[in-house]
Amino acid sequence: MNSLKVLRGSNITTLTLFASFAVMCLFFAAQTPFFLTSGNLQTIISTLAVNGIPAIGMTLVLITGGVDISVGSVAALTGVVTSLLWLQYGIPLGISALIGLLSGGLVGFINGSLVTLLKINPLITTLGTFSVVRGLAFVFSEGQTNLLSNEAFQFLGRGQILNIPFSLLCMIALYAVFSLLLYHTAFGRNLYMIGGSAEASRLAGIAVTRHLLVVYTVSGLLAAFSGLISVSQLASSAPRAATGLEFTVITAVVLGGTSMAGGKGTLIGTLVGVIILRTLDNGLVLIQVSSFWQDFARGLVLVLAVGFDQIRARLTGRMKRRAV
Amino acid sequence: MFNKRLLTVFLITAIVFGAFGALALRPAAVVAQDSCPTQKDSYVIGFANLTEDIDFTKLVREGMVSAAEAAGNVELILADNKLDGATALSNTENFITQGVDGIVHFQTDAAFGNVIMARSRAEGIPVIAIDIPMPGATFFGADNYYAGQLAGEALAAWVNENWGGQADAMLVLELPQSGPVPAARMQGMLESYQANVQTPVAEDQIYRLDSKNTQEESFRVVSDTLPAIPEDSKIVAITINDGTALGVIAAAEAAGRAENIIVVGQNADTSGQEEMIKPNSRYLGATAYFPEKYGDKIIPAMIDILECRPVPPSIFVDHIFISKDNVCDFYPDNWPEFCGGAEATPESGG
Repeated sequence: MNSLKVLRGSNITTLTLFASFAVMCLFFAAQTPFFLTSGNLQTIISTLAVNGIPAIGMTLVLITGGVDISVGSVAALTGVVTSLLWLQYGIPLGISALIGLLSGGLVGFINGSLVTLLKINPLITTLGTFSVVRGLAFVFSEGQTNLLSNEAFQFLGRGQILNIPFSLLCMIALYAVFSLLLYHTAFGRNLYMIGGSAEASRLAGIAVTRHLLVVYTVSGLLAAFSGLISVSQLASSAPRAATGLEFTVITAVVLGGTSMAGGKGTLIGTLVGVIILRTLDNGLVLIQVSSFWQDFARGLVLVLAVGFDQIRARLTGRMKRRAV
Repeated sequence: MFNKRLLTVFLITAIVFGAFGALALRPAAVVAQDSCPTQKDSYVIGFANLTEDIDFTKLVREGMVSAAEAAGNVELILADNKLDGATALSNTENFITQGVDGIVHFQTDAAFGNVIMARSRAEGIPVIAIDIPMPGATFFGADNYYAGQLAGEALAAWVNENWGGQADAMLVLELPQSGPVPAARMQGMLESYQANVQTPVAEDQIYRLDSKNTQEESFRVVSDTLPAIPEDSKIVAITINDGTALGVIAAAEAAGRAENIIVVGQNADTSGQEEMIKPNSRYLGATAYFPEKYGDKIIPAMIDILECRPVPPSIFVDHIFISKDNVCDFYPDNWPEFCGGAEATPESGG
C-alpha cells in the first residue's frame, strides 16, 4: 500500500520531468537545426547506457537510504582488469571481461559488508573505496592507457541490432528486469521499507543486512558493466576513466525523483533523469555553449533537483501533520 | 733591543708569508666556494613531480632518477605534487627542512608559484620549473607554440597531399581551464595548419571543444558535434594530447565517419604511438616531448646553477613530430614487429 502511494506520488514527478524534457527539446530544436536530426538522436541513444546502467544500481542504493560514490572508480578498475588480463596474461577477452565484471561485484560486496557489518556510514565507506579502487586501477595499469582493438568486443559499445544500439538494448533489458524486481517482489518492497526506517524493517523481520549486501553488490556489478561498455566504445582502457561518473549518476537519479533520504524513487524516473542529463549535455555542445557554462548547468540541475526533493518532503510532512 | 726588533720583523714576515702560503696551498674548490657559495662536492636536489598518475610524468621522474645517477654527485629526493598547488608548497617546505641545495618543481598552480618562489628565495635555494613557469625560476619545458606548429604543418601537408588541400571542418580539442600553456600548443597547431594548407577551414566551421583532458569527454563532445557537420565532410582534428586524440578517433569510428577524419596530437606517448602504427590509422602523428630525456638537461642545468655557471633563463625541449614513418627511429624497442618491416597505409602521404 505504502509503495503504491510512493509510486502515485512519483508519477507526478515523472510527468513533471517529461514536461521539462519536452520544453528542453523544444528550446534546443529552436536553437539549432541539427538537434532533431536522426544522426543526433542516434548519438544520444547510443551513449545513454554508460550513465544509465550504473544509475539503476544507484537508484536501489539511494532507495535504501545509502549512497555509492565508488561507481566511477569501479568502472575504471573493470576496464583496467579486463585489458590487463587480456593483453598481458593472454586470457580470452570474454573471460577477462567476466573477471573484470566480477571485480566490480566484489568491490560492491565489500562496500555492502562495511556498511552493514561494521556499520560505517555509506558515504564514508564508498568515499574510501572510491579512492582505494581508483588507486588500484593506477597500480595495475601503471598509469598507462591500453588499446583494446577487438571487433567482437567493440560490438558491446558500438554494435547495432535493427539500427538500435546494442548497449541501449542491454540498458532497456536491465531496466525492465530491475523494475520487475523493485515493484513486483517482496525484495523490492523491502528496499523501500529499509529506506524508510532500517530499524523498523529489522523489527518487522526483514533481513536488512542481506538486502543491503545484495544492493551494493548489484551497484558494483552494474558500474562494472558500464565500465565495459565505455571501454568497448573507446576501444581502450585508462585508469583515469569514468572520472565524475558518480556525480552524473547521482544527479540523474535525484533528478528522477529518488530521495537522498531514502524510501522513495522509481526506475522510470531515473531513466528520464538520465535522458534529460544526456540531452542537456548534447544540446549545450551543439549550440556551442562554453564548457564552463555546461558545468554550471549540470551543477545547477543537481541543486534544483535536490532542492525540489527537499521542498516536496517538507510539503508532504506538513500535509501529513495537518491531516493528523 | 736589536734582537727584539729583529724578532718582530721575523714574526711579521713569517705571518705574512705564512698567510700567503696557506692561501696558495688551499684546494681549488675551497677557493671557488668563496666566489660561488653554493658549490659543493655533492648535491641534494629535491624533485617534486606533477603527478605520478600519468605516463608522461612517470617518464619525467624516471629520466630524472637516471640523470641523477649518471651525474654521480647528486642525491635526488622525490616528491609528488599531485596536481595541487598546496601540495607543491608543502613539498617545498619539506625540501627546505631536508636541506636540499636545489629544487626542481613540476607543478600546475600559477598562484602557488609565487609563494613557492618566495620561500625558496628566502632560503637561497635555486629552482627549476618544469613546463609551468614560476617567477624567478629557470624555466625548463616545452616550446608549446613550436610543438603545436610541427603538428599543424604535418597535418596541412597530409591534407594537401591526400584531400586536394581542403578540409571542410576542424575540431579543436583543447583544455581551456589549464591556461596559456596548452593554449599556446593549440594556437600553434591551428595557425600553422591554416597557414600551410591550400584552402584554410572557414572560421564558422572550426569547432572548439573542451576535452577536459580525458578520452571519454573527448569522445562525448565529438559525438555530440559530428551531427552538426554534414555527413561526407572531410574533417581535421587537432588535439591537446594522445588520449584526447584517441577519444576523437573512437567517436568518429562509432559514428561510421572514420574515413573522413584525420587527427594530430601532442606528446606521442605509448598509446598514441600504438594508434598511429595501426593499419589505416586516422592518427597521423603527434609532436614528441621526450619526457624521458628531461632529466638529461635538468640535472646538468641545476649543477651549473649551483656551481655558478651561466644558464639561460629558459631551456627548451627538442621537439620532433612523430608519425608511423619515423616512430622506429625514436622508439624501435616499443614496436619490434612494426619496426621489423613497416608497411605503408593506403593514404600514407604524411
